[in-house]
Amino acid sequence: FFPSLQVLLMGKSGSGKTSMRSIIFANYIARDTRRLGATIDVEHSHVRFLGNLVLNLWDCGGQDTFMENYFTSQRDNIFRNVEVLIYVFDVESRELEKDMHYYQSCLEAILQNSPDAKIFCLVHKMDLVQEDQRDLIFKEREEDLKRLSRPLECVCFRTSIWDETLYKAWSSIVYQLIPNVQQLEMNLRNFAQIIEADEVLLFERATFLVISHYQCKEQRDVHRFEKISNIIKQFKLSC
Amino acid sequence: LRIFLFSLFFSSFRPFHVEPTNIVSVNDDMQRVTDEASAMNKRIHYYSRLTSPADRALIAPDHVLPAPDEIYVYSPLGTAFKIDSCTDGYGKNSSLVTIFMIWNTMMGTSILSIPWGIKQAGFTSGIILILLMGILTLYCCYRVVKSRQMIPLTDTSNWEFPDVCKYYFGSFGQWSSLLFSMVSLVGAMVVYWVLMSNFLFNTGKFIYNFVHDINVTDIVPGTNGSNKVICPSAANDHPPQNMSVMFSSDNRTGFELFEEWWDKSRTVPFYLIAVLLPLLNLKSPSFFAKFNVLGTVSVVYLVFLVTIKAAHLGIHLEFNWFTDNEFFVPEFRILFPQLTGVLTLAFFIHNCVITLLQNNRNQENNVRDLSIAYFLVGLTYLYVGVIIFASFPSPPLPKECIEQNFLDNFPSDDIMSFVARIFLLFQMMTVYPLLGYLARVQLLRQFFGNAYPSLFHVLILNLVIVGAGVAMARFYPNIGGIIRYSGATCGLAFVFVYPSLIYMISLRRAGQLTWPALIIHIFIILLGLANLIAQFLL
Repeated sequence: FFPSLQVLLMGKSGSGKTSMRSIIFANYIARDTRRLGATIDVEHSHVRFLGNLVLNLWDCGGQDTFMENYFTSQRDNIFRNVEVLIYVFDVESRELEKDMHYYQSCLEAILQNSPDAKIFCLVHKMDLVQEDQRDLIFKEREEDLKRLSRPLECVCFRTSIWDETLYKAWSSIVYQLIPNVQQLEMNLRNFAQIIEADEVLLFERATFLVISHYQCKEQRDVHRFEKISNIIKQFKLSC
Repeated sequence: LRIFLFSLFFSSFRPFHVEPTNIVSVNDDMQRVTDEASAMNKRIHYYSRLTSPADRALIAPDHVLPAPDEIYVYSPLGTAFKIDSCTDGYGKNSSLVTIFMIWNTMMGTSILSIPWGIKQAGFTSGIILILLMGILTLYCCYRVVKSRQMIPLTDTSNWEFPDVCKYYFGSFGQWSSLLFSMVSLVGAMVVYWVLMSNFLFNTGKFIYNFVHDINVTDIVPGTNGSNKVICPSAANDHPPQNMSVMFSSDNRTGFELFEEWWDKSRTVPFYLIAVLLPLLNLKSPSFFAKFNVLGTVSVVYLVFLVTIKAAHLGIHLEFNWFTDNEFFVPEFRILFPQLTGVLTLAFFIHNCVITLLQNNRNQENNVRDLSIAYFLVGLTYLYVGVIIFASFPSPPLPKECIEQNFLDNFPSDDIMSFVARIFLLFQMMTVYPLLGYLARVQLLRQFFGNAYPSLFHVLILNLVIVGAGVAMARFYPNIGGIIRYSGATCGLAFVFVYPSLIYMISLRRAGQLTWPALIIHIFIILLGLANLIAQFLL
């Protein structure tokens, strides 16, 4: 019997969660997320991960009334057995106070129901910020979030669907979910050395996120992981 | 030369085309897109699978897409301008527009040296040579246009001629293409500097004399009367003993001061530095690409000027076949390679003809349109050269007096040539930064991987180029000489050797090489070599 991991993907409406989920998990989005407005209900998808692990992805709609709703009545349901909370912030949001308020409510619920959960904060849509300001703005947000998260610890990433940062952030998140990742890395290295490969990558099957890699030769293209992932996911969708 | 910043073309629906990518790049030479562009391309393709086509949710916004290609076309002594990248495969230019674009690109300052070239070769042989060189360079151009089609199994639709050279000759081909195109660019820029100094000098002199109401009669041999034609080189051999100068006011010292500070080779070339060096350091010269029309206007005006002058001066021709005369030159002279050297650069468009023809709406008419364009170019050169030569007033002045820049044969107070000089001065001032940009991009990208590594690098390069121009203007302002040397050199590679060699190699690979083809093309290569060697011997 292996535990079923629950992953919560939360954030205000319009912060990009549905697109993000669709991109990472290669799910076809059946409707226009912009025009029809935000996700109305809790969306739930069920992804098998690394064989025996199961990710329950809860994409909770970010609308105000709904947020209130699940913080009161659904609370225990949703926040129980959470292994990972991924909270998405829209970097362009004008309502920073409200964002932080909801975030803190989530954290309270987590602290009550799943105090061992790992918290990840994604500062999303960074492509809308001017390039020379990105580091600055991200550092500011990161400081605020770390401060607000205490006593829990959060790890922050800055992401955008238009560059490799989203892929890298999710790869890091997934890496921390794997129970025996050190062992996997050892085996990978041995395997690479035996077959005398220049590089060996370990991809997760559903998402093609890179869990581990070993390289003994300098590779030219730094974007190769995401490229392979996108090519194969596109191929999977075409079949 | 066509410059690839990214090899991307995209239409308004934003799928952009990137050639099949290698994730593990075995062959680094053929990388035509940056890794970022390639990754973005894959990303966009994948995202487009995630939503329905009507859904706008995952469409790439403008600010994440790489900037569009900046493609510049240039002919060393013609014009340089920015071309719109082809969307949807092929361009939409009618044949007439394509022909005009080719004519416009080739036409430029080389027209100023054609009369001198005819004089060096002799009148009859000059005409014959213009026709023959036109046909020869047209054939080589045709070979360039067809060169991509013999390459099997590769998508060559984005390739320009230097890419073909790289395919056949590897890294040697890449470096030699770069070297020869640098020769053509730097040669052109030096010619421009000399001419700009010349025109600026004459313009300044005209304005000064006009403002101060000075009527200068230099003791330079020239005709009398209203349509004065002068012979400056005779004056250089025999410096004037005295100059008859009439002043309206007694301002003699002012004039001498002006003469000292406004000298064609000693001071004016340096004044140009203040204007042009800052422009060369700009990151993007697309501003200057808008002034392309000045080139056309200048050429049309020159044709007009030549016609008017000929109408006033009349025809002065005398046919002496092989003997020299006090006033006339023989019809066939041993110095004819000097004309072929000039013509190599005058008919040079082989580095960007593929790009120019790519926008042609009906691609099957490419060869026809190219031939028509070459015919018109040859006709223009022939007209200007023959008319100037024929109408040069030979009883008082020998034909030997025809200058390497024929505008020098008109005094600085001549209104029509003043206007021509102003047009040409402005035109060259707008093309010069473009040529500098092209030289910089090719050179720096090859060595530093980046078109603008730092202001320091760019400044050093620009100082070298400007220095060469100033040095030439100071010590060797003979544009006919500069044109023929640089023309024969870069023509050797792009006009004579590479097209013929590539054709022969491709035929051999396809097993279709016949003896006549081999002999003809080797002969062409030898002609190119002879052209270059003869420049130094004669």
